[in-house]
Amino acid sequence: MAPTALLLLAVSIYPLLYSLRISFFSWELTAAVPPAFVGLENYVRILSDDPRFWSSLSKTVYLVVGGVLIELVLGVALAALVVRCGKGRSVVTALLLIPVMIAPVVVATQGIVIFNVQWGPLNYLLSLIGIDGPVWLGDRHIALRTIMLTDVWQWTPFVIVIMAAGMQSLPVDIYEAAEMDGGSAWRIFRHITLPLIQPLIVVTALIRSMDIFKTFDYVYVLTGGGPGSSTETVSLYNFLQGLEFFSFGYAAAMSYIQLIIISVFASVLIRHMRKGLA
Amino acid sequence: MKSRGPKILTYAMLLLAILFFVLPVVWIALTSFKSQAEVFSYPPVFVPEHINLRHYAGVLSGAGGQALRDSFIVAGSNALLSLVAGVPAAYAISRWRIGGQHFAMWILSIRMFPPVVSAIPLFLLFTNLQLLDTYLGLIIAYLTLNVPFVVWFMKSFFDDLPRDLEDAALVDGANRWQAFVRVVVPLAIPAIVSSGLLAFVFAWNEFLLALFLTRSAVKTLPIALSSLVGGHEILWGQIGALAVMAILPVVLLVMLLQRYVVRGLSLGAVEG
Repeated sequence: MAPTALLLLAVSIYPLLYSLRISFFSWELTAAVPPAFVGLENYVRILSDDPRFWSSLSKTVYLVVGGVLIELVLGVALAALVVRCGKGRSVVTALLLIPVMIAPVVVATQGIVIFNVQWGPLNYLLSLIGIDGPVWLGDRHIALRTIMLTDVWQWTPFVIVIMAAGMQSLPVDIYEAAEMDGGSAWRIFRHITLPLIQPLIVVTALIRSMDIFKTFDYVYVLTGGGPGSSTETVSLYNFLQGLEFFSFGYAAAMSYIQLIIISVFASVLIRHMRKGLA
Repeated sequence: MKSRGPKILTYAMLLLAILFFVLPVVWIALTSFKSQAEVFSYPPVFVPEHINLRHYAGVLSGAGGQALRDSFIVAGSNALLSLVAGVPAAYAISRWRIGGQHFAMWILSIRMFPPVVSAIPLFLLFTNLQLLDTYLGLIIAYLTLNVPFVVWFMKSFFDDLPRDLEDAALVDGANRWQAFVRVVVPLAIPAIVSSGLLAFVFAWNEFLLALFLTRSAVKTLPIALSSLVGGHEILWGQIGALAVMAILPVVLLVMLLQRYVVRGLSLGAVEG
């Protein structure tokens, strides 16, 4: 059985090594010229001579920072409510897990309808409470935030469920003591619950950061990177370099830059998980 | 004693939040029953006048039927193969501590890498091997995601499984493999089924690798859906029907496997 383990490792690492090799070549699928070794040139070009890459990276970072913050704040706050539900918790959890498990592409195709300005239900509902809804997908100042909202809709429930599970596992006696001392609900939450679930918050933030960093499906379906290039994330730009422009060496180098960034998150995550969670 | 007011406020806020997260899913389901006129009417029609099943028939006889079949074939075979490869490997890693105690974490980190990193080499490799746009190609591609997941999930299960029973079987003259198949696997069935079903969902929902590695012969649900919204005349009723069919298996799994879903998605951070 030990050989199967090593074989598997080989299978999962082989594409990574092959990709690294491709990233050192000028590898144009459309041109008749064969791939040529260019060393680090692809990396140098991406980092020093490709404003579109930097622009896509800054949009991606915007999504990560905004999305993670909103999801954590909403998730922790709502989890504090969920844990008070008692027996209803399991039903609430099941309902909340539905958005999480749906394919992002399904979410995005329906987002096209929901965000539609002429006949979509969202702006209609907003108009009922007197709000003039924005042009969700067609306005270059709004569209990236609409992508963020989509992610918040799909993934906040995940944060709620995790935080609720974490809060549920905290020792009851601390709370009883705090309530005896007459602490208000807010003070108990602020001074006891929050510090105790802080490791879980860190881990969740890292998991969500890595996922949002890879945002592709929503953008591809909802906006295709537009209007202009206002929603072009790194993953989308990387995809275009590969399957639209067929510059495989360049695309592979870009994917490796992404991999390095993700690895930083992953190694921090692993260190945190090793320390052990409550 | 707590006053009653905040309690009601708690439930009201929670209800509002749940409506926010669940209503769009209900909206999708309702859309699949609407007539084309109801889809485009303003103010929007929320509940259709008649339960109209013709979108289901329409999409199943067209692109949707193929997509449903292809997704079942790819996700189903991939999940089975991931188990066949991953479960024994997880057992070996757990029992012989291959690669030290943090090995499972490193396996897991492979799964966190952006899929485009493996999409590019696989595209070139499959071009040479003529595996582009085939079931086999996509099934293999998803192994790079799901085998690490199964190994990680099952390893933590085997770590917690007491060795006494296997040791007893070994003393009785069984070899390692027999002890694994006859003693360990039966005990692990719930965990094996859960990790297999989660692997199924990951493959069922995956988009980017399918976009790279398939064209027209193989079209999974996400690919079919994304091309339906790209057309000239967009049939929202049919898209809704196909979306419902894509969501349904996933919702059933959530109901069945709530605890494992939480554990699997949080990478073991919480027990659920």
